[in-house]
Amino acid sequence: MKKRILSILLTAALTTGMLAGCGGQSGGNETERSDSGAIVLDMYHSWSTDTERGAALDKLIQQFNEENEGEIEVKVTINPDFPAYQEKVKTMISTDTTPDIFHYNFNPNDLSRQESGKLMDFTEYMDDEWRARFGEGDLENLTINGEITSIPFEKAGAVIYYNKDLFAQAGINEFPTTWDGLLDACEKLEAAGITPFSLYTADDAWYTCNLFTYLAASYAGIDTLNKGGDINTPEMKQAAEMLREFWNYTTGDAIGANYSVASNNFASGKTAMAIDGPWLIGTLSEVEDQIGIAKAPSFGDGKVPENYVVTDAQTPWAAAATDDKEKEEAIVKFMKFITSEESVKQLTLDGAVFLSPKLDLEDPDVQATGGLLGEYLALNSSAEDSTINIQRNLSTAANSALPSLLESLALDNITPDEFVEQLAAENE
Amino acid sequence: MKRRERILYLLPACILITAFFLFPLCYLIYVSFFEWNGLGPMVYVGLENFKAVFEDPEFHMAVKNTVIWMCAALIVHIPFGLVLALMLNRKPRGWKFFRVMYFIPNVISTTAVAFLWYFIYHVDVGLINNVLNAVGLESLAHPWLNDPDSALIANMVPFMLYVGLTMIIFMTQLATVPRELYEAAVVDGATSVQVDLKVYLPLMKPAIITNIMLNLAFCLRTFEYPFLMTGGGPANATTNLSLYIYKEMTGANRYGRSMVAGLATVALGMVVMIFVILLQRERRKERAK
Repeated sequence: MKKRILSILLTAALTTGMLAGCGGQSGGNETERSDSGAIVLDMYHSWSTDTERGAALDKLIQQFNEENEGEIEVKVTINPDFPAYQEKVKTMISTDTTPDIFHYNFNPNDLSRQESGKLMDFTEYMDDEWRARFGEGDLENLTINGEITSIPFEKAGAVIYYNKDLFAQAGINEFPTTWDGLLDACEKLEAAGITPFSLYTADDAWYTCNLFTYLAASYAGIDTLNKGGDINTPEMKQAAEMLREFWNYTTGDAIGANYSVASNNFASGKTAMAIDGPWLIGTLSEVEDQIGIAKAPSFGDGKVPENYVVTDAQTPWAAAATDDKEKEEAIVKFMKFITSEESVKQLTLDGAVFLSPKLDLEDPDVQATGGLLGEYLALNSSAEDSTINIQRNLSTAANSALPSLLESLALDNITPDEFVEQLAAENE
Repeated sequence: MKRRERILYLLPACILITAFFLFPLCYLIYVSFFEWNGLGPMVYVGLENFKAVFEDPEFHMAVKNTVIWMCAALIVHIPFGLVLALMLNRKPRGWKFFRVMYFIPNVISTTAVAFLWYFIYHVDVGLINNVLNAVGLESLAHPWLNDPDSALIANMVPFMLYVGLTMIIFMTQLATVPRELYEAAVVDGATSVQVDLKVYLPLMKPAIITNIMLNLAFCLRTFEYPFLMTGGGPANATTNLSLYIYKEMTGANRYGRSMVAGLATVALGMVVMIFVILLQRERRKERAK
């Protein structure tokens, strides 16, 4: 009898344990407090502290924690794998474990986060002073259904970095100003045994899509591209055709490679060009004197201004909706701190990032910035026009299909026309 | 054992199977009729997801590649494991060392193995191409993982080589064969190959069936090799069903379509199980004779 009772109890305990393990976490919007009574804000981001920007952000968070000791404490969790990070954020939102503060790539074709009803609305806190901190249009773009569920933050231009030494070895003394000139330069580099371009197809195919966007803007004009709409246009097909030509001048591992492979190819001097954001500068410290930043070429037909840039998507901050007013105010306090003039200056100069909250270009420290970062800031701040990397505005389904479509284009499995048509079909 | 006790012993397994297989399966079937991005509301679309998936060329490719994986297991992996087991069963010098060496890869994380092979195949820094270049065979150097013609085979090689578990299952079965049968065959003048083919092989059917089941199941759910080595590329050349499910769910956020692909995988798994059950039934009939 005893044995039977024992076995029943064990079975019940096992079953209860198993089922308890299946349960989700408790709701994410309950206010957690530290031992000192401070409101704890769980922050989730992707900027690893071993990068310049991650270290700069970490320093600011520590400063904020010190200034608000006993009141607010920001606890950080980092996931440097950005594509995986983005998916994790979505999963956390869907499972009601939304981080108190997090960042993400804004995509006007994927408003699932904003429309989930689980993000905090900053509208009532957005006073004129705070509003004036952001670049023109950035806040408007992030206002969805009358709610400000995201605070503009990173909006970096993707510029063409080139290795001046490798160009000189191929007998090229100046960076070409036209796309045809750049193709000729690629030919010369190739003839000199130098691989011209760092490109890749995995994940977001960021380098490849930057090049594609520059080409598309040059054919169609920046205004056309910024208006959005159908991407199945003759100009896009022309851009795809030229992208295919440039594919002849990339590394053997470009098909299937990811960001780290492609950026390392450029940083190690294996390739002569890469189109990337300011975060690349941190990895170029050993070769910085060999690297230059060039204005993007055009077709010389006036469709794009002389100095135009393709930018990354806005990567804004967002927060979990909460019923606790005190917690809401703590989140707003942090947001105002991180977008303040001083924080932006620190992040730009120490972290080599280009942000939507305004940077005081008249600041002596900013003006004294030299090297690649100085070049980058000068080019970005003088840009006459800009457009967002085309990939950042594609639907999630089109983004998912992009690697295989780019690979099919590179392998000549599909024509440039088919590439654009299939991408447009996935984007519908 | 009393009926009530039998039920009691079966209860944990029944609860676990219901919680972790039957319930998810029902939910999978339910979601497959909806359009859902994982966050917003679910919209009922009837059979639209089934139509979209079954018309998707990438899905066709995924099914084809999964079947190729299973064929490779049947034609190459299992015979390879069998040959190794028969060779080691003759207990040549150092056979224990080789038995351990062949098995060791099976205790290493598949992720580590996939990354290891990614670097072995790498077009520039890879071991294979560097060795080929070093011995003057530059013309044979190849972008193994970047060429659709070689990528799938390159994906499968680690699985083919890590044959240890299959070999151990065969060796376990061989250990049960009475020594007298071997000795009788030798006395009758049978060669080693004849002993293997005429004595051992007919007695190894249970192990063959077990290995078929385990290997086909592995091929059906394999994910790490195509995901980590090629990401399903180039141009979907290495996408299999597991990866297709993953891409549809986390890449395209099409949960409904992902569930349909999941159902297709379950269906394929059931076909495999029926095949294995038929083999077992055939064996029982033979034994009955």
